[in-house]
Amino acid sequence: MNKIKETVVISGKGGTGKTSFTASLVPFMDNAVFADCDVDAPNLSILLEGETVEEEEFSGLQRAVHNSSLCSGCGQCLASCRFGAIKGDFSVHAPSCEGCAVCVHVCPENAMTLEDAVVGKVYESETIYGPLVHASLIPGEETSGRLVSRVRGAARELAEATGRTGILIDGPPGIGCAVISSVTGADSVCIVTEPTLSGLYDLKRVYSMVLRFNPAVFIIINKADLSEDVCRDIEDFAAENGVPVLMKIPFNKKIVQSLSNREIPSVAEADFFENLGWKKALETI
Amino acid sequence: MKAAILSGKGGTGKTTVSTHLAALFPDALYVDMDVEEPNGDLFLNPEWNDRIPVSVIYPEIDNDKCTHCRNCAAFCRFNALIAGKALTISMKEICHGCGGCALVCPSDAIRYRERIIGYVSRGITRFGSPIISGKMDVGEFSGVPLIDRIRTMDRTEALQIIDSPPGTSCTTVAAVEGCDLAVIVTEPTPFALSDMKRTVEMLRTMKLPFAVVINKAGMGDRGVYDYCRDESIDILGEIPFSLELAGAYATGVMLDSVSPQLQKEYRKIMDGMKRKAGMPGVAV
Ligand code: SF4
Ligand code: SF4
Ligand code: SF4
Ligand code: SF4
Repeated sequence: MNKIKETVVISGKGGTGKTSFTASLVPFMDNAVFADCDVDAPNLSILLEGETVEEEEFSGLQRAVHNSSLCSGCGQCLASCRFGAIKGDFSVHAPSCEGCAVCVHVCPENAMTLEDAVVGKVYESETIYGPLVHASLIPGEETSGRLVSRVRGAARELAEATGRTGILIDGPPGIGCAVISSVTGADSVCIVTEPTLSGLYDLKRVYSMVLRFNPAVFIIINKADLSEDVCRDIEDFAAENGVPVLMKIPFNKKIVQSLSNREIPSVAEADFFENLGWKKALETI
Repeated sequence: MKAAILSGKGGTGKTTVSTHLAALFPDALYVDMDVEEPNGDLFLNPEWNDRIPVSVIYPEIDNDKCTHCRNCAAFCRFNALIAGKALTISMKEICHGCGGCALVCPSDAIRYRERIIGYVSRGITRFGSPIISGKMDVGEFSGVPLIDRIRTMDRTEALQIIDSPPGTSCTTVAAVEGCDLAVIVTEPTPFALSDMKRTVEMLRTMKLPFAVVINKAGMGDRGVYDYCRDESIDILGEIPFSLELAGAYATGVMLDSVSPQLQKEYRKIMDGMKRKAGMPGVAV
């Protein structure tokens, strides 16, 4: 079987243009499955406009449920829960519950049980560029990391079943569990950053996280003309660490406009991208 | 008033709005709860007085006492324990610190140790206002313990501006809980609108009053305005998009280049926030 190549686009800081960049890659990827792992802000589907062909509920975790008719009020559950998830009346504050089962274990009356909790949905859509796997998390739910793993898993299964050779992933922002889940075991990681102090700072943080997994890393500097000084700092940082800067994309109002029209920037502004060395960048990835 | 400043989507200008409010109202405490990417200090340049480590627990197994019964590994819901025939090992990065494994161990072989996952710092910004900022160590999974630590800290300031994590994840909920009001910072683009709807859904579930500030006004489309009108959501103010402003933000000098017009807009935003929280407004 062919090795399936997984490419993840992440950013550290939000709002650097990660999704626009991912979407720009999409029309140029032959024979690939696309996955939106930014489950807190799933936006790739807005640009790709697919038709949902499959939909599954995602539980991914269990939570404690209190049965007040069995409860004797002994308070052991409250004293043992380390996540402050049990209220004064011994009912469970669902968002805080991690499903650790300690309360189930200590309850002498069997009044606590664990039950599956639905926290989101996973979708498979058909777009003109190929299949897209995406998900939505019920707002305020907390298993982003697990849902990210599920989306990646579904994309991989789909790629294997349909004999596709690549997976392109729009990753989550930040440096926490969701991002770690999205880059673990990936072949290459593109970090989209911007020349602002926060962009640079978050780039350094996310880069040191990515290093642990040893993929090929590329940096894309978006809105590159915001600050020449910071842009140079980013290039220095990249050079020191031997990371290639794949592209420098200057700020362009037309890109914002194409996004507002729900158009993919690299298609809507093809000339603009061409002049920035788009072909070469694509070949490198 | 504790006001959480949120953004559905990252990069809409949540930190810009929070730090401007902190700079213009120096009696306000600025709290950076965006512990994965805490950036407020890049603009507020504080002097730190205090740096408090935040730790979580993980089990340490005494393999001399362990009888390899596998109870602990069978109990752990997070697969953080490997119990072999000869050795039992805990994986501290995966452990959630629930304390369950020691409860089920028949041989008293499990002790909990602490490890640091980040720091909470306290200081004074260059505007003379108080600041608290949490920062999670790189490679950790969850910033919630840091947010919980900040929430239990002694905070007496009447006015608190909480720079919250982006999105609608568990850390966002943890940061917003206990606030009097939420302000969603958004921008007039389809992406931002889609993300903002999720934030609205979250805040409505939490039954928290909220309003909107539109950043980068003047670019994009009218979708966000139409949505706010249809849903009767107040727009407290609009920060116009300008490349100049974006450049000032890039190098961290934006707080010194606030035009009188923009200052007025921020005062209007603060006025709206206070009224929304049932307090007297401020002079604009
Ligand atoms: S399952 Fe764990 S986190 Fe949930 S209520 Fe019980 S003890 Fe608390
Ligand atoms: S441990 Fe069981 S019986 Fe005791 S208070 Fe909790 S739920 Fe009720
Ligand atoms: S403390 Fe809880 S999560 Fe950690 S290893 Fe023990 S059972 Fe697992
Ligand atoms: S429960 Fe205790 S005795 Fe049993 S395998 Fe775990 S550490 Fe060893």
